Amino acid sequence: MSEKRQKKAVQAGPGGKPMGPGGKPAGPGLFSILKPYRQWIILLVVLSLVSNGINLLIPNISKNAIDAFIAHRLDVDRTLLLFLSAIVGVFVFTYASSFVQTYTSERVARDLRTRLADRISRQNYSFLQKKNTGQLLTNLTSDVDSIKGFVAQAIVSIFSSIFIIIGASIFLLTIRWQLALCVIAIIPIIGFTFFIVLKKVRVLFKASREVIDTLNKVINESIIGAALIRVIHSQHLEYTKFLEANAKALGLGLRILKLFATLIPIIIFTANLATLTILAFGGHYVIAGRMTIGQFTAFNMYLTMLIFPILVIGFMSNVIAQAQASYGRIAGVLYTPDPEEGGTRVSDLKGDIDFKDVSVSYGEKMVLKDISFHIHGGSKTAVIGPTAAGKTQLLYMLTSLSHPTRGTIEFDGYPLDGYRKDDFHRQVGFVFQDSILFNLSIRENIAFSDNVSDESLKKAIATAELTAFIDELPEGIDTVVSERGTTLSGGQKQRIMLARALALDPRVLLLDDFTARVDNQTEKKILENVRANYPGITLLSVTQKIASIEDFEQIILLMEGEMIAMGTHAQLMQTCPEYVQIYQSQKSTSHYEQPELQS
Amino acid sequence: MNSRNYNLNELTAGRSKSKIWPALTKLVGLLPEQRGKLIGALLIMVVYSILSMLPPALIGYTINHLIEGKINTVSTGIPDQSTWMTHLFHGSGYSLIVTVCCCLIGIYLLNLGAVYWRTILMGGFGQHLLYTLRNAVFNKLQELPVAFFAQNKAGDLISRINNDTDKVNQFFSQSLMQFISSIFIIAGAGVALVYFNWRLGLLTLSPAALMWLFNKVMSKWVKKKNAASAKATGGLSAEIQESLNNFKVVLAFNRRDYFRKRFGQANTANYSSAVGAGIANSVFNPVYSLLSGLGQMVVLFYGIYLIRTGYFTPGFLVAYFMYTSSFYDPLRQLAALWAGFQVAIASWDRISHILSLDTDLVTIHESDIPAIPPGGLSVVRTGNGASAGQPPLIEFREVSFAYPGGKDVLRHNSFRMEKGKTYALVGPTGGGKTTTASLLARLYDPTAGAVILHGRDIRTYTPAERAEKIGFILQDPILFSGTVRENILYGNEKYKDGPNEQLTGVLHSSGLETLLTRFDDGLDTAVTLGGEGISLGQKQLIAFIRAVLREPELLILDEATANIDTVTEKMLEDILRRLPPTTTRVIIAHRLNTIAGADEIFFVNAGEITRAGSLDQAVDMLMEGKRVS
Repeated sequence: MSEKRQKKAVQAGPGGKPMGPGGKPAGPGLFSILKPYRQWIILLVVLSLVSNGINLLIPNISKNAIDAFIAHRLDVDRTLLLFLSAIVGVFVFTYASSFVQTYTSERVARDLRTRLADRISRQNYSFLQKKNTGQLLTNLTSDVDSIKGFVAQAIVSIFSSIFIIIGASIFLLTIRWQLALCVIAIIPIIGFTFFIVLKKVRVLFKASREVIDTLNKVINESIIGAALIRVIHSQHLEYTKFLEANAKALGLGLRILKLFATLIPIIIFTANLATLTILAFGGHYVIAGRMTIGQFTAFNMYLTMLIFPILVIGFMSNVIAQAQASYGRIAGVLYTPDPEEGGTRVSDLKGDIDFKDVSVSYGEKMVLKDISFHIHGGSKTAVIGPTAAGKTQLLYMLTSLSHPTRGTIEFDGYPLDGYRKDDFHRQVGFVFQDSILFNLSIRENIAFSDNVSDESLKKAIATAELTAFIDELPEGIDTVVSERGTTLSGGQKQRIMLARALALDPRVLLLDDFTARVDNQTEKKILENVRANYPGITLLSVTQKIASIEDFEQIILLMEGEMIAMGTHAQLMQTCPEYVQIYQSQKSTSHYEQPELQS
Repeated sequence: MNSRNYNLNELTAGRSKSKIWPALTKLVGLLPEQRGKLIGALLIMVVYSILSMLPPALIGYTINHLIEGKINTVSTGIPDQSTWMTHLFHGSGYSLIVTVCCCLIGIYLLNLGAVYWRTILMGGFGQHLLYTLRNAVFNKLQELPVAFFAQNKAGDLISRINNDTDKVNQFFSQSLMQFISSIFIIAGAGVALVYFNWRLGLLTLSPAALMWLFNKVMSKWVKKKNAASAKATGGLSAEIQESLNNFKVVLAFNRRDYFRKRFGQANTANYSSAVGAGIANSVFNPVYSLLSGLGQMVVLFYGIYLIRTGYFTPGFLVAYFMYTSSFYDPLRQLAALWAGFQVAIASWDRISHILSLDTDLVTIHESDIPAIPPGGLSVVRTGNGASAGQPPLIEFREVSFAYPGGKDVLRHNSFRMEKGKTYALVGPTGGGKTTTASLLARLYDPTAGAVILHGRDIRTYTPAERAEKIGFILQDPILFSGTVRENILYGNEKYKDGPNEQLTGVLHSSGLETLLTRFDDGLDTAVTLGGEGISLGQKQLIAFIRAVLREPELLILDEATANIDTVTEKMLEDILRRLPPTTTRVIIAHRLNTIAGADEIFFVNAGEITRAGSLDQAVDMLMEGKRVS
């Protein structure tokens, strides 16, 4: 016999420590979730009370039957009918209530998930970074499950338990109140013992949940890092990590067990003492003729009904506490205000981009410092610079994935925030550095936006040099890409991402280190294709390779968040030593790439 | 021949569901050393259930004596099994009650001890079983090859393992004991019912036969529903994970509706299967209480009938009511637990799929390998004659490879790589460079041919030996949550426990120290699994330092520096040059300058690994390859 434990996080993300139960939830409380389902819950409670009510009558029927039999005036047919209708009644109502219970709790869970997902989908990228994926996943899965458990079990159980305790007590009292008081005395004894043990157990449960989190974390890391672990052969190391946490979990499990091993015998013994009391005093009453055999039987039957509800209330208090904690975490997401949707401007972008004294900082750390530059519509600009220079940040701001801490960004002379989002995003194509593919067909991955015509799709695929590759696939463009694109090579993934951005027919194309995983040949071809198929497009490319950007109209050199220099390749070669240094580091092979340029 | 299929969804598809008993015995078989505990617990439960059956009989006996004389039907000639009690208890009226009460107190005290020890032993067994099971799963995960992880979605795998071990967890730590002790009590009550009056007993038990039948009919359906629900839950969490991980694309392409729509679909699927499973699970309880009510009804009416006909006594009618609830109450609890049991079995089934998988990358004994003729060497020997005398460090002999269900990635390729040299693999994307590297590091086994390391088949090396000799910097750098220090020393026995100074010293002498300035807090910079807050280039730096510090004989860099700026990359090249002269390097890169210093260049494309004489020739091949395709 033990407590129903919260289903633990499917994946507790790194640092995804749930907010403590002390964290006060924003917005209305747990019960507010139930409001829309009021009539269902009332129905549920009524159904279960009726079935429990009938259940309470059965010992009474038996009592009357026995007494009537002893007194030789038993009406068998009538009593049989009564008994039968009672148990059939219990059946019907129990069945109906479990039906309603399943339906209601699952609906609450489904609707809550929908609301959460809806809320998340409206947030900015910064929200996701702050909350981290693991935590949101926990919110959407195990937190919702624990609230579902609350609806499914706690509400009905508590109502019926209280009902049965009170009902059975009343029946006992009406039969013979002196004896009833002795029997009812076990309620506080069991309740109190249970309360004390449960309080201790709760602490251990919390600790064991944390250990399970650790176990899951080790499992997750070992799955994600599977390849590395095999290369280094560090299985043993991982196993040691796991074993340590697992041994801890075992220890905690055994400690919890010990508490229950003390609790359960006490409860059973107390209940048995009540049986003994019934026999000793009840027997006395029977001998004295102050109690019938039927009443004696009923006493025993009610006693068995009485014990379980006491325990149920104890268990449910825990379910409620967990649901409350889960709700606290969920409410944090559920009542996050939508970010402001200020933009109304709709216009065809020319592609002029202005950074005006833009700075970005995360806490103390400055990622970009006072960046100002101008990009002409239709021109090609490259951003170059060492690792962690803030290049990706710069691109993120252009797609409003992140926002400047200071300064403004303008498109065609109007602030970025002033544009209507859907219209803006349709005109700006972004190719991310990391391969992000959905578990969809290649067609759906490329035509990811709503309004992609077959023609744009074809053009994008051709431009990204994917036509041959797609034609070779068994199911062509309808081949489904598995998660994280494990069946594709790095370059193929990257090119699908490019095609996705191009399928929008964008006015501005942002490339984040696009060339890192694509060989020079393909890269050259692709850039030429872009030039030919998308005339007038504004290109902003973050890259490492100087050779492929030498002919760009403008090159911006970023280092540690600062803009070091800006100009054409020729200008920078004259004026900027850092640029020359980068150039020199790549120069040794430049003559190999020369012929490629001519081809 | 193809490499093995590890896709769990495909493997599960055609497989029939496992039976409960074999599953259980297999589970118990996991820990032989705990068997004593289990036997002890079972013995105590037998004692406990016998002890629990005594009080109702005693009470019944007492009542019979109390009302002796009150009813005439309690008369002579009744085949009463309780006659033995008359030898034990003498006296009548209240003195009998006192005797019986004393006896009951004794029984209850014995029960107190029995319940305690039952809980400790049985629960302890469950906890140890759980512990062993978790270890077994994790061990298996460590044992399975890379192919297993490549063929299953990470999200699905994580959900499957966490969720399913948790379900088994819940059952074993919470319900197992109640489950088993219920069975014992039911058995005891059943025996008692038949023992004291077999007619009434059997009739009282008959609803239980209906229960059994009902269970038999329903359980398959219930199991199916639960399995479907577990699958939908896995799908839901995989969906959430995918969408959240890809959220920035959703935002940049303004497809918030896509996120909602996809989630809505998974959510609805999860909802309907959960309702299905819920309804299937809740079908038992009402039926069980109906049947248990029937049992009580039988006792009441058939009991009265038997008393009338002189085959039963009223005192035992009371006892029978108690036995009936001792029989049917645990049975109802069993029903409540049954659902959980089904869930646990379904989960266990899914776990055992994983446990039943074997790695196809076993270490084999040298004598077990049929000798592979060093064929195709002629192609390789046409290189510089100087190398002919030196035995190769690693060698491909007629190696072919195909991913399961896919076409050949490599076809009959042979080449050799010598100690201390630098090799480059070039070729168009998707040409098979990473696959070649993975075969060198034995992340996969060739489907034909052999990889020879130091003159021995690579399959004859233990993983530990192999890992010591071969370092592999993967395309996607992997970080574990912790610090930069922990990450670069991951799996490194040599420096793991040394002080920071020792490590800095080593880093300094190998030229790695300057790379650490790229991190805000140096060695102590915090790192998370997802690597939030540090750039891809920084992650690649960590992976680079990690591999170099291990001083492998063969170091493979698979586009390991693709996202690192060229200035830093120059530093990395210097570091590579300063590696011990015996170190062999294999470099895969697109940026040709990265491979400019290579001693030999291999061109990998369309199943062929061809040696290019020079960088120029490689470039030609690259361009030619493009023209051909």
